[in-house]
Amino acid sequence: MNCERIREQIPEALAGRLDKTAREALVEHLEGCAGCRTEVAELNAVWRGLETVKAGMDATPDAGAKLRFQEMLAAYQAGMASVQPVVSKPRVVWFPTRPVWQAAMAAGLLVCGILFGRFLPQTGDSNTEMAQLRGQVENLHQMVALSMLQQQSPSARMRGVTYSEKIAQPDPQVLDALLQAVNHDSNVNVRLSAVDALQKFATEPEVARAMVNSIAGQESPLVQIALIDMLVQLNTRGVVPDLAQISKNMRMDEMVRQRAAWAIHKMEAER
Amino acid sequence: MEDEQVMWEVREGAVGKLELLFDRHHTGILRYFQYLTSNRTLSEDLAQEVFFRVLKYRQSYQPDGNFRAWLYQIARNVFADQLAKQKPEVTMPEEAREIRGAETPPDREFQKKQEALMLRRALAAMPGDKREVLIMSRFLDLKHEEIAAVLKCEVGTVKVRVYRAMRDLSDRFFALSGERAS
Repeated sequence: MNCERIREQIPEALAGRLDKTAREALVEHLEGCAGCRTEVAELNAVWRGLETVKAGMDATPDAGAKLRFQEMLAAYQAGMASVQPVVSKPRVVWFPTRPVWQAAMAAGLLVCGILFGRFLPQTGDSNTEMAQLRGQVENLHQMVALSMLQQQSPSARMRGVTYSEKIAQPDPQVLDALLQAVNHDSNVNVRLSAVDALQKFATEPEVARAMVNSIAGQESPLVQIALIDMLVQLNTRGVVPDLAQISKNMRMDEMVRQRAAWAIHKMEAER
Repeated sequence: MEDEQVMWEVREGAVGKLELLFDRHHTGILRYFQYLTSNRTLSEDLAQEVFFRVLKYRQSYQPDGNFRAWLYQIARNVFADQLAKQKPEVTMPEEAREIRGAETPPDREFQKKQEALMLRRALAAMPGDKREVLIMSRFLDLKHEEIAAVLKCEVGTVKVRVYRAMRDLSDRFFALSGERAS
């Protein structure tokens, strides 16, 4: 066997996974090959050293890990329970199988529906009820988004941010939670998603102002650039002086400064 | 009960049984991310994400597949997504400060720690694909068949890749330490 084939087996031999025949062939080759012996000695030194690296790595999960997992599992199970598929019922035997009868039945039901609708007492309550229902659903959305934004796990907070995008008109608490996420969330992906989610509401002057103020405090240039881009996209007037300051602030990342300068240029060109 | 049987039941709707698989594999997955990122907090998050994806994609689990290989495939995807999301910040930490201590450790202990430090530096400097195959083989004790399933390649290819990764690590390590085995 040539040296190359032999050497490819060294890691397995060091791990004690080589079968008897292969091991004997390896030993036989090593007896007559000084080059491969050196190779084994070097790789053995590294292989043993990796054991110390392995021993030094603290991979004991912290106590919160299991708890987080259980919370996620419980949420998933709750989600599963709420979308249980409808158990298929046995086929209705009296339903006609011939298309002509099916069409006749559909036409009959349509006429019944029209008549029923026409002679049903008219009330203004249904609209009010619908509005109330919509309001309740909206409140529910807000509540869910808010509770998810306060979760420990970044992935749950991320889902909270995504959920908040479903809300047509967020209440100040949700807006505040999103702004908090932009400014203080420890996870950069959550911050970026929160910036995206806020885009819908950034036409409000206070939101736009909060976003401008957030740029200087951000650690990640990615988030800073995302915020600047959003201000450009919304063509938010009145932020040019702030952007000018950023473009000259030498403590800022160079890419951020360049982006701020570009943003000023772009906004002024669109005026 | 075998992992594969448990996962099959999870797939079929008994999602609560995933806790058993979490107990068996969470430490391994956490270790995988820690070797790759050297960031404990990030590794915890990525490990959680792996088990979330196991639930999310449970229907894609095939009964004839090795569960551990499937799990590490997911972990690998989670790590790839993480790299795509942010600038690569996967650097191994400098541990020089950790070596210093109030008491002087015995010579052999000290030497072993220094070697471990240099090995970690050498590991950090390796290309990602080589580091990954070494992590799976040496630190996670995955079998070559399992690594082949994770990397979607032949077992023979894994053998060659592990050897080349070891060779690369060895060259870097001896270049750092300034001495070669004789």
